[in-house]
Amino acid sequence: MIVTMIVIVLALSAMGIFYTQVRSRRNAALQAVRPVDLQAFRTLMDRDDEAFLRGNVSSSRFRRLKRQRVGVMLRYVSRIAGNASAVVRLSESARLSSDPDVAEAAAQVINLATQIRMQCLLAFGKLSLEFVVPSLQLTPAILVPRYQALRENVRLLGTLQTQQLTPNAEAI
Amino acid sequence: MTSLVQFGFLLQLGLVAALLIKRLWRKFPYFSFYAVVSLLHTTSYYVLRQHRGAYFYTYWILESITVLLGLAVVYEIFQHLLAAQPALHKLAKRVFQVAAIALLAAGTTVVYLQWPSGAKSLSSGVFVVEEASRVIEIGLLVFLFLFSSIFGLHWRRYEFGIALGLGIFVAVQLAVVTMNARVGLTVVQTLSFIRIISYSSSLLIWLGYILVPESVAVQAEVPKRAQLEQWNRAMMELINQ
Repeated sequence: MIVTMIVIVLALSAMGIFYTQVRSRRNAALQAVRPVDLQAFRTLMDRDDEAFLRGNVSSSRFRRLKRQRVGVMLRYVSRIAGNASAVVRLSESARLSSDPDVAEAAAQVINLATQIRMQCLLAFGKLSLEFVVPSLQLTPAILVPRYQALRENVRLLGTLQTQQLTPNAEAI
Repeated sequence: MTSLVQFGFLLQLGLVAALLIKRLWRKFPYFSFYAVVSLLHTTSYYVLRQHRGAYFYTYWILESITVLLGLAVVYEIFQHLLAAQPALHKLAKRVFQVAAIALLAAGTTVVYLQWPSGAKSLSSGVFVVEEASRVIEIGLLVFLFLFSSIFGLHWRRYEFGIALGLGIFVAVQLAVVTMNARVGLTVVQTLSFIRIISYSSSLLIWLGYILVPESVAVQAEVPKRAQLEQWNRAMMELINQ
């Protein structure tokens, strides 16, 4: 009986997911690329600022301020991720263009946008952890090896599949 | 009920015709084969319903083929979805394989835990196997939608329509098959009615996505490559700091 219930819940949840996908597809069709203030974003992620706060305010106040900063940064990352998706959608028709130059340029843009999207996922993970534990500073020592492996995969795939479209791997 | 089945039959004929006229069978061979086998499935009902034994075996053979084709259709959509994403191919294929193995394990668990005993074990056993197969099918479809959400993949019109129609039918079919073996005759008839309604809805979705032209997308300026490079650099700084 428990298995039956689980299976029925699975079926109902699937219906719910399909419904949300229909809605989000409709919303995505209307979504345009929104501006991102990269200067402000860089100021927010400045570790020197964070060190200054840590040394000059109480630990409870530091935790509160750090969470606020991380919250705003998450919104920036979310906007960049949304923009990357919008770029993929908007470049899709250009990728199918009969002009090979246009198609190649669109493929490069889509590739780069996909990589940005993957970076956003990593950034989400990192920021979420720092939100939960504000004293945490996830350094490259923890994240870079995984990211390095990802970069190598992208480079390898680029070499194997799209030899002309790979300079983006260098940009990571 | 009969008129609903007839309506569904007409929709199935319409779907096969639309796939042939629009030459979509070249682009979606598994889905086209799925549509043809489903049409044969309904045809066999009209031709063989007087011969219970022959209909029983034909029904289950065609049902098994459609379940397998359903899985092939999911993989077909997955490949179309990733066609424009060379950077994601390897990662996506690996995640898809892991999801498929996990769902296979879940399906096997369902068969193990639900396997009936006693006089009705054959017919009930067939339902359990179908239930497990539908768990795998719906799981893969849910995985596809979630994966595309996480990576912001763009669904094109046909792929989305096929996945949505298949998903709705399989979800309802899963619930129906699961409840079928555990309820009385009156409820079974209601469940059959729900199943036919859901399949007709899926057929309408497929036909709609194939036949109705796509509305013109909102024209928006695509950012220059330099802009993307800036975002890329900013995200790298965040990850590496």
